[in-house]
Amino acid sequence: MKRILSSRLAIAAFAISASASLAWGQTDTLRIAVINPFSGPMALYGDEVARGYQLAIDEANAKGGVAGRKIELLRGDASSPPQGIAAVEKLASQDKVEVFTGTYISAVSNAASDAALRYNRIYWDTNALAGDLTERGLPNFIRSGPYASSFAEVSATATKELLAPALKKDLKDIKVWIEHEDSIFGSSIAKLQKELLEKMGAKVVGLGAHNFRSIDLADSILRAKATEPDVWIETGYVPDGSLLLRTMRDQGFKPPAIMMVGTGDTFETLDALGAEYLEGVAVVGYPRPDQTEAYGPGAAAFLAAYKKKYDRDPIAPQGMTAYVGMQMLIEAIAAAGGTDMEKVRAAAAKMDKPLKSYASGFGAKFDANFQNTRAFPTVVQWQSGKVVTVYPKDAAQSHVRLVNLPRK
Amino acid sequence: METFFNILLSGILLGGIYSLVSIGLNLIFGVVRIVNFAQGEFVMLAMYATYFCTTHLGINPYLAVFLVAPLMFLFGLAVQRTVLQPLQNEPMMQIFATFGLLILFENSMLALTRGEAYSLSGGYSSVAISLFGLKASGVRVVVFFAATGIALALMLFLQRTMPGKAIRAVIQDRQAARLMGINVERTYLLTFGLGTALAGVAGALLAPIYTLSPYIGENFILAAFAVVVLGGLGSVPGAYFGGLIVGLIESFAGFYIDPALKQAIWFIIFVAVLVVRPSGLMGQIGAEEVGLREQS
Amino acid sequence: MLGQYVGLLLLACAPLGLMWNDPYWINILAYAYLFGALAAAWNIIGGFGGQFSLGHGVFFAIGAYTVARLYLDLGLTPWLGIFPAAALATLVAVLISWPTFRLRGPFFAIATMAINEACFALANYTDRLTGGPRGILVPFRAGFSNMIFIERWKYALLTFGFMSITVLITVLLRRSRLGHYLLAVREDEDAARAAGIDVLKVKLLGMALSAALTGAGGGIFAMYVRVLDPPTLFSLPDVGVKFALISLIGGIGTVMGPVVGALLIVPVENFLRGALGGEVPGGHLIILGIILVGASLFLKRGIVGAFTIALRRIRDRRHS
Repeated sequence: MKRILSSRLAIAAFAISASASLAWGQTDTLRIAVINPFSGPMALYGDEVARGYQLAIDEANAKGGVAGRKIELLRGDASSPPQGIAAVEKLASQDKVEVFTGTYISAVSNAASDAALRYNRIYWDTNALAGDLTERGLPNFIRSGPYASSFAEVSATATKELLAPALKKDLKDIKVWIEHEDSIFGSSIAKLQKELLEKMGAKVVGLGAHNFRSIDLADSILRAKATEPDVWIETGYVPDGSLLLRTMRDQGFKPPAIMMVGTGDTFETLDALGAEYLEGVAVVGYPRPDQTEAYGPGAAAFLAAYKKKYDRDPIAPQGMTAYVGMQMLIEAIAAAGGTDMEKVRAAAAKMDKPLKSYASGFGAKFDANFQNTRAFPTVVQWQSGKVVTVYPKDAAQSHVRLVNLPRK
Repeated sequence: METFFNILLSGILLGGIYSLVSIGLNLIFGVVRIVNFAQGEFVMLAMYATYFCTTHLGINPYLAVFLVAPLMFLFGLAVQRTVLQPLQNEPMMQIFATFGLLILFENSMLALTRGEAYSLSGGYSSVAISLFGLKASGVRVVVFFAATGIALALMLFLQRTMPGKAIRAVIQDRQAARLMGINVERTYLLTFGLGTALAGVAGALLAPIYTLSPYIGENFILAAFAVVVLGGLGSVPGAYFGGLIVGLIESFAGFYIDPALKQAIWFIIFVAVLVVRPSGLMGQIGAEEVGLREQS
Repeated sequence: MLGQYVGLLLLACAPLGLMWNDPYWINILAYAYLFGALAAAWNIIGGFGGQFSLGHGVFFAIGAYTVARLYLDLGLTPWLGIFPAAALATLVAVLISWPTFRLRGPFFAIATMAINEACFALANYTDRLTGGPRGILVPFRAGFSNMIFIERWKYALLTFGFMSITVLITVLLRRSRLGHYLLAVREDEDAARAAGIDVLKVKLLGMALSAALTGAGGGIFAMYVRVLDPPTLFSLPDVGVKFALISLIGGIGTVMGPVVGALLIVPVENFLRGALGGEVPGGHLIILGIILVGASLFLKRGIVGAFTIALRRIRDRRHS
């Protein structure tokens, strides 16, 4: 009895002293928290996003911070909705965080933003993809980056404007197989891809779902192979994407065009498949630093800053989208003169910057649901073991040409 | 028709993977009778060890297996001695402990690698073999033959050698074995080490097939358990054929029904088979009657 | 005897009274109480009955989805919705368990895990009932009849109440005939059968009760977290295995064990994640893994067990 009592008393004493300092007051730094999975299978992306934020914050601090204060970034680890809630509670009540950002998993973003609303804190999402995050109309939620719809849109238009001409076929003669991993990420994008492609006149010959942790994906490949598609589009993560490509190679499935969506544009895929096999594979993903300066002003500077601070190349392109998202947030805070939820929201509503204003090629114009309508992924192609931006045309460097389409 | 044979072959090769991963677990589960959540992590650790050998030491993964397996054997001995032997009479705590080990191993690897996905260099995964006009990946064919060879070798070991017979005795009846003079604790040690070494072999041979991540062990563990239980506790041919059957069911269900449902389908079939035949397909009837509350 | 448990429950309520104003700790407490209740529910069949189920996530999920669906589609207040949710969970539990209770020990455990995974895949696949991979999102509309509160301490009070009810049910069960039969089945199933106990019926009744309470807890979870997707509800480490883990560390087969276990594990895990989660990837989980292994080695009978042994030693020393 005594043992239990004393430990509870200790917790209670600690809590009392902690809550004694719980007054609504500002700290002398402006604290922004990033809610992301920092453990679990998505840890890599959570980390990369946080790095992107930190670079934008360093830039702003070098110019004196924002609204008269320096910015400090705090991290909150969350891989599931209850963890997201707990992270927000801790950061908002104990660490005096004034603005929340994130979040690589949509379900976490959902729960965490809801919790943040109880504190009237802005939740500025730079990377989560689910459509309903903005469709639910939460008054504190603003999304600066592309989402499922944008990815689907670019997949469809790239098929029409890039792949179809390269295959020397009309879009209405193109057969497309849409493959996707079966969580909300792959499912939501694939559903929209099918709608858009069919609307454009292409023939969707199949929609295949798989679990990204599958030990074997031969069935998915054999099903696709049986339909003899011209274009094979896949939305998924790295482990399943790599396994699918390897299985395609094993099974001798050679669609004239391969397009990956979301992942497949990093060294992880290169190591798994090798430069020769990857030659010509297109990837719809977050914009990359090799874009032209005209399309993405500051992209090269971002790359240099990343290399300087972290002593390596960026691991995944999610970082630059996060960096740009943080820049937009800082601008909104500056315009609002502080972190008050209503004022930042109003400032965001007023933002109107054309496409190609930021390093990622984004603009800033939020619709009624506070989704940035000027944020799109780009399309890259693997060429000689390197990832090269090929679409939109003005994002690509002038000397860039498409290779290996149709695939040999 | 050609598609049918393609699926068949694919299923057999997948079955080889399941068999290879499950053979070590079959021994451990059969003898030491614990739900070893960490078995998948042993495979994962062996994969990373193989990656290290291949990428940093330049050793061919098929040679690295001779390095990795003995290391895993020693590692298994250590785990059994320090964590599991003290918990010999607490079967539920053993589950708890192995779950703790799972979390520990996974996240240690995450901390070490920061979550980046590695792949073995050397292009092993690109070797394709043509069998009767059907295509197969070379590395998977190797896995299949390895699984078959190991199963045969293990059966010989269990039938012909003294330590092997001791293991079979303990599988059948722990108390009687002890009464017969068999040192049960030493048998546990040997078995756990052997089972871990076999996980090591699986890891080394599977490393060329998959993209390595700290969480890849989780993808195998439940399937491995199901295969072992389906095949019949302690039965090496059971684990082997159980793996093949599961591989075939998964392949056919995936192709003809839906890849998104294949796991659900074979899990349901697994439960159904167990209900009809609780000792598994080839297990000794009654071997499964020994529950969690084990006699010492 | 009952008074002893009421006293302990009041003690468990003390942090709520002390920290009701601190949203961080109150959130953790609310969660801890809920999981204490869920672990106590599991304990009925897992601890008292000795049937080590790792698939209780299925009942949890059924409860959550049912309450959410009834609330969103029919406007049924969750206070009533938890009853059909519990009933549905019970029905599914009996259906699944009838055949699988043939299996014993680790075989049963593995079969329940397989069922959990199969249900995860099915829930992800079907869009209609479960919302598929997107899941069900319950919008925030505060109101007592909605079981949605602005102040977190109200949730903590709710989950504390639920936990108390579950614990008291456990106490009553322990003293009832069913309770004794469950313990007999756990000790030696064959002897129990030889003594004339209908083993299957006893197991099914225990499982029914356990599943009903788990389903109700899932319903409460649904109105607390309000983001319900298959990865959250069917997660083995966060849900199914966690119920067993909490009971084990607290003291399996004891009444207060699950409560003690939850009040320890939930805050510790949250604290570790908050303190270490960001910087070193997986750092807090490494420590948690070490704690789990250490606890299994040094707290073989769980905390309540260790406590009881220590108490007995003191008493023996006094008498000698």
